[in-house]
Parts: sequence; structure tokens; C-alpha cells
Amino acid sequence: MTSDAVPAGGDARRLLAEVRDLARRVRLDQRVTWLPLLVLALVTFGAIPVYSLGHPVLSDCRALSDGQVCKVWFQAVAFYWWAALVLAYVVIAGGYVRVARSRGLGTRMLPYVLTGVALVVLSAAATGALLLLDPLPYPDSPSAFVVFLMHLIDPTGAIGLALLVLAWLERRVALLLFALGYLAVVLSPPIAAGWGTSSWWGLPTQWVISGGLLLLGSAGFALAQRLRRTR
Amino acid sequence: MTGPVDAPPPDESESPHPVTGLDDVVHQRVRLGILTLAHEAHRVEFGYLRTQLELTAGNLSQHLGVLETAGLVEVEKGYAGKRGRTWITLTAAGNTALAEEIARLKQLIARVETPSEQ
Repeated sequence: MTSDAVPAGGDARRLLAEVRDLARRVRLDQRVTWLPLLVLALVTFGAIPVYSLGHPVLSDCRALSDGQVCKVWFQAVAFYWWAALVLAYVVIAGGYVRVARSRGLGTRMLPYVLTGVALVVLSAAATGALLLLDPLPYPDSPSAFVVFLMHLIDPTGAIGLALLVLAWLERRVALLLFALGYLAVVLSPPIAAGWGTSSWWGLPTQWVISGGLLLLGSAGFALAQRLRRTR
Repeated sequence: MTGPVDAPPPDESESPHPVTGLDDVVHQRVRLGILTLAHEAHRVEFGYLRTQLELTAGNLSQHLGVLETAGLVEVEKGYAGKRGRTWITLTAAGNTALAEEIARLKQLIARVETPSEQ
């Protein structure tokens, strides 16, 4: 880039192209996409031992001819998810700021962190509301739309929603596709069915799959970043 | 009898040419580059600007001085360990000036690309 004045109207197209190129270079240098994916994968895997060690809280039990039906709340896991996710977003924000600063840049992570934390609060509020207000739907099931919404604000779904915001902030199509693919998997009926089934393995299986996806994504984006820097 | 014919008054409905609104402070390659980098990065370090814009420290300082005097950027000096570091942040006026400059450049391109009506 030189310090020449731009001839008025003469080279506007080239100047705009240079502006876009500079903006693109900053966005590339600000990216640390592997970090949130890695931290969120670890948080997801961490839910498994908490689940296996914790005891579910049973309430509103109702006798049936062939046994009884109760509300089940995995209290330890719920509190783990809320605390771990908030902590994860703080760690991610700190990591982005640190990396960006070392490269001589600021960062625009606030919308991602706020979205992530807001989704945690929404998830906690929905759980609380369900525990307090929702009558036992048994033997009827909630509508498919309600189940979909519940899965969407479930911790694994909320992680995917927040990743969409990160993709928008980083203007990164690859991350957008990854987030959509991740959501498609964790919200797909066979995976999401782990939520609410009577099998003990339902939830851990769901978390192994979603955590594995995040870990694979983290490795992929880290590799892509390494290749770009060595070029 | 015929006399000299006055030139027709300018058409009021026609919008002014985008060039007339260009700000000399911003409409300069390096300064536009500084504003763009500072806008995109939220805040940017002197060394990063120097590398990306391929300038000498003295040249970059001169341009930063012009932008700072115009109130378009804020320059903050600090330390990272023992190393001195200078951070540049865009002001609200700088943000507006950059948006206006880019809008005018787009108008200019649109004018060139639109075939004139005969």
C-alpha cells in the first residue's frame, strides 16, 4: 500500500477491494475457532462422570396398574451443565482476547459469549418452569414441536445455537456449515432420543456423540489454521 | 431580436456527484486502510498496522497524527511486559467517516457502471 491520494472516482473499485482484503486479513488473524470447540467438547465429556455419580431426584410419583410414573430430575448434571457452560464461555472469551492481543488485535467476542450465557439462563429457566408448572404428560407425549424446542435449548443444542453466532462473527462459512451439521446430528431423533429415555446409556451416548463431533471439529479447524500459517 | 441565452439552472432533483462529498482526511489510501483495520479489529496495535500496510514507523505515525487530530482515532500507549505498545481505536466519528467513505465509493462505482441516459 502506498501513501498516494486516490484520484477522485478514478479507482474506487480497487480501493474498495483493498478495504475488503484488509478486513478479511484481520478476521483471519482473529480466528481461534478450535478453542471454543475444544473447551465445549471437554465440558460435554465432563457431564458423563457427573451423570454416573449423581442420583436422580424423583418427584410427583403416580401409581399405575403396572408400577408407577415419576418426574425425574438429574439435579447434579443440570447444575454441572449450567456452571460448566458459563465457565467455558469465560475461558473462551479470555482465550480469544489473549490470542488476539498477542497478534496485535482486539476481538469482537462479546455477542458470542452473551448469547452462550443467555442460552444457559434460558435453559435453566425452562428446566425450572417444567419442574414447577408442567404436569406429568404420561401417558400422553408432548407435541413434536415442544420436544424440538426443548432439545434446542438443551445444553448440547444451545452449544450449536451459540456456534451459529460465532460463525456470523467470524464470517466463516466452514464454521456455519459445521454448526448446522452439528445441530442436525444432536437434534436428530435417534440422538436426541437419549434425552428422556429410560435407558441409563441414553444421555451418555448422546454426550459422547456431541462431544466427539466438537472434538473432531476442533482438530479440523486447528489443522486448517496450521496449514494456512505455514503457507 | 435575440439576445444571449442564459445557461439553464442546474437540475435540483439531480443528486450531487459522490466525489463532492469525499473527505480528504479519509479519502487517502493509507488512512482508509488504518480506519478499516481499526474498525474490523475493534482495536489494533501499531506494529500490526505497520506490517499490514507495509509502512515505515515514521510514515505511519504521520498518518495516525492526521487521523487523531481529526478526532477519528484514539491512540493509547501502554506496556506489555517491558515492551511499549501503542493501540489504536476508532472513535464514533471515525466509524461514521469510514461508513460514509465506503458508501460514497460504492456510489461512485454505481455511477460508472450505470449507462447514462441519452
